[in-house]
Amino acid sequence: MNKLLIIFGLLISLSSCIEITDDITINADGSGLFKYAINLSESKVKVNSLLALDSIEGKKVPTLAEIESKIVEFKKIFASKPGISNVKIESDFTNFIFKLTCNFSSVNTLQTAVKEVIKEISNEKNSAELEAVWLKWDGQKLERSIPDITIKKSKEFKTEDIEQLKKGKYTSISRFAKPIEKCSNPSGIISKNKLAAMVQTNIYSLTKNPKLLENTIYLFPNKN
Amino acid sequence: MKHLSFVICSLIFTASFAQKSEDLIPRDAVTVFSINNFTLLQKISLDDLVKYEFMAEVQSELFDGSTSGKTLKDAGIDFDQKMNIFYGRGKEYEISGFTFGIKNKTDLFQVFDDFQLADSKIPGTETYTSFFNSLIIKGNSALLIRVEPLQDRVNELTDSIWYANGNESPWVDTYEEMEEDLKEESEKEVLQEEIYEEMPEATQPKTEDEFPVAEENPLQKNYYEMRDSVEMVLQVGFLDAICKDLFVSNLNLKAVDSRFAEQLTHPSEGIFFLDNSRNLQQSKRIWYLETMFPTLYTDLKELYTGNVLLGDLLLNNNSVQFKMESRYGEKLGSIYEKLNHSKFDKKVLNYIHKDNTAYFTYNVNLREAYEQAFKVIMPILTNEKNTQMSTSVLALDLLNEFINKDALFGTYKGSMFGTFNGIKKVKTTKIEFTYDEETFEYQEKEVKAEEDMPIFTLGFSTERNDIPLKVLQHLSRLTSRFQNKGTYWVFENAILNAAPLYMIANEGLFIFTNDQDLAENHVKGYGKEALAKKDAAKAAKSGSMYANINLAQAIDRFPRDFFSSKQNEILDAMRGKTGSMELTSSKTTKEKTSFDLLYTYGGTYDNAGKYLLDLMNSLYIISK
Repeated sequence: MNKLLIIFGLLISLSSCIEITDDITINADGSGLFKYAINLSESKVKVNSLLALDSIEGKKVPTLAEIESKIVEFKKIFASKPGISNVKIESDFTNFIFKLTCNFSSVNTLQTAVKEVIKEISNEKNSAELEAVWLKWDGQKLERSIPDITIKKSKEFKTEDIEQLKKGKYTSISRFAKPIEKCSNPSGIISKNKLAAMVQTNIYSLTKNPKLLENTIYLFPNKN
Repeated sequence: MKHLSFVICSLIFTASFAQKSEDLIPRDAVTVFSINNFTLLQKISLDDLVKYEFMAEVQSELFDGSTSGKTLKDAGIDFDQKMNIFYGRGKEYEISGFTFGIKNKTDLFQVFDDFQLADSKIPGTETYTSFFNSLIIKGNSALLIRVEPLQDRVNELTDSIWYANGNESPWVDTYEEMEEDLKEESEKEVLQEEIYEEMPEATQPKTEDEFPVAEENPLQKNYYEMRDSVEMVLQVGFLDAICKDLFVSNLNLKAVDSRFAEQLTHPSEGIFFLDNSRNLQQSKRIWYLETMFPTLYTDLKELYTGNVLLGDLLLNNNSVQFKMESRYGEKLGSIYEKLNHSKFDKKVLNYIHKDNTAYFTYNVNLREAYEQAFKVIMPILTNEKNTQMSTSVLALDLLNEFINKDALFGTYKGSMFGTFNGIKKVKTTKIEFTYDEETFEYQEKEVKAEEDMPIFTLGFSTERNDIPLKVLQHLSRLTSRFQNKGTYWVFENAILNAAPLYMIANEGLFIFTNDQDLAENHVKGYGKEALAKKDAAKAAKSGSMYANINLAQAIDRFPRDFFSSKQNEILDAMRGKTGSMELTSSKTTKEKTSFDLLYTYGGTYDNAGKYLLDLMNSLYIISK
């Protein structure tokens, strides 16, 4: 399964013009819906050219069939985690867009499942980053950050790709059943219906400052 | 007085017959690079030198810190002698290494510090060995060599000894064992941990590999140990034979190959030698031919006799010239001569833009070459008295009668051209996520985008444009991706599933390109914007091949991602240099074709030796 990370690491690090969206919806009971999308359509010529090669810098370039089978395997592992259900992965190999959606019973189960899957499919068995807490929900506020492991991977980009990285976009959306009062990130914006908060940054800035996506979202207190 | 005469005569005799570095090149060498003007390399640091691929193969051991901060000048090497780098693959072993002159042995061993003095079996020589290589010194010349027996030969001998000793197949139950191993792998890990825990800390091994493997009888070798012994014995035997040839019988490449000996006399900075006939004979794939069709093998060997590539490297004030001569035997030469008996198609020049970065023309006559090859090769095949071969000969003969050669060679005559027009933005589409302000729900929207793409044009001369057009018309009925645009055809998303490929059929040319501008606006050629007359004349005058590259524009603009790692290695060797590169070829005769590669660089460069090494390295990677 480690191969899946290599596959995506390779494609992402070499295509560089990438759009990532993570979107979490938290219901009143703490359960919710998680969506994660990677969009490489702006680099599809480059991705196709990479896939046409046998190897890049000593690493074997996988075939589309290999990528597909690894995605299926990933889905199977993720779906087996407690508290995770309705796992769906959509793969568009024409535009190179990959979307994961799943339901979770609580923020903690989602976080644990993600950590366990990363441990299973990568060599990062005892990484300190995996012990960190990226999501904290107490019913009134959600504290969010993105795992350092993502930043680490992003730093592997070559300097010549920096211009492309500046075009890359990371969007983090948090949705709730109740209206949002405020959010801590100065770049964060709240939707007109007050039920969603969004932070956007370019991938290059994110590699320089991982805290750019940190955000604590406060909901209006319950009226008793 | 008598004594003085004797001393003078002895000195003259010794000087005349002392072996120079070029006399130490084994006759098994198939490829040799020989640097004559070695002084050019004095400034090259050893650290830089050992990084070249052609050096790395033989002296990986040298790159261990002993070379740090030193130049070749500090290494005790004699710059008055040639340095010769060689490689060869025979039927039983592979050799690689280099020969050079020695000025100061103490300095030399500061660099070659891994070598230990060993017993020399040849009088008058000193032998030093390291883990992989041997260094043999005679007088002021040295041979650094690595001899590796071919693995097939080692396996064959090991198997023979193994079975003769009454052993069973070493591979019995291998698959079952592998399966068991896999099953037990996880259990083993746990077991290992338990063993470690029970052992006193001081004796705990660091890794699983450090557990000794005990044999029931220590004198009894297992298969792998026997294989290692066989390999070692073969290696020693082959090296001894090579040394005997070189130092006792004076049989070296220079002595046995007059073409190489003649090449060594050239006053150029470096020479190149590649014996293609031996490459063919020793090719792994030829064994089947040799075993099953011995007559055919002998005839083919004869056909390839004399097939050699000779080259000279000349360093001028602001250019490097690489002159190559491809020589071949008469029969093969007669095919090449017919192949190159072709009139240059000037129409192609109209499709090469004057500002283009790189282009080539290739001008051959496939029809005449086919007829001649049929005349030369059919008697060879017919000569082989074998049912299988006779059936193939009959099939070939019938095919030759039934095929419409006018249509076939009228469609593809063999002449073609290609251009690289740099990187252009091509129109593609991308998917954008758009967010609704009210809810931040997002939707996918297809929008137009642009991506960088190398722009290539490839065209060939044809008398039968109707045939490829017929194919396109049928394909367009099958899929809407093929569209007739009147003056050209387009195949949507043909390139990397994103960009269109345009096809132009005009005036005896059929052209493939991803250059939208050429298809839409220059379907009849570039006219006044085409290649300048002077440049066009050079291409027209050249023999079968002509190529021109603007290095400053081309190399830096070649997109790395579109090339394999080996191709990138070659490009890296050339990267960062300005100037132009031009390849011309002579008219082909029955004996030879000459090629001339002129690399003119702009500006001044301090270190011409670096250029020489870069070029040699590129050649080495190509010929490897």
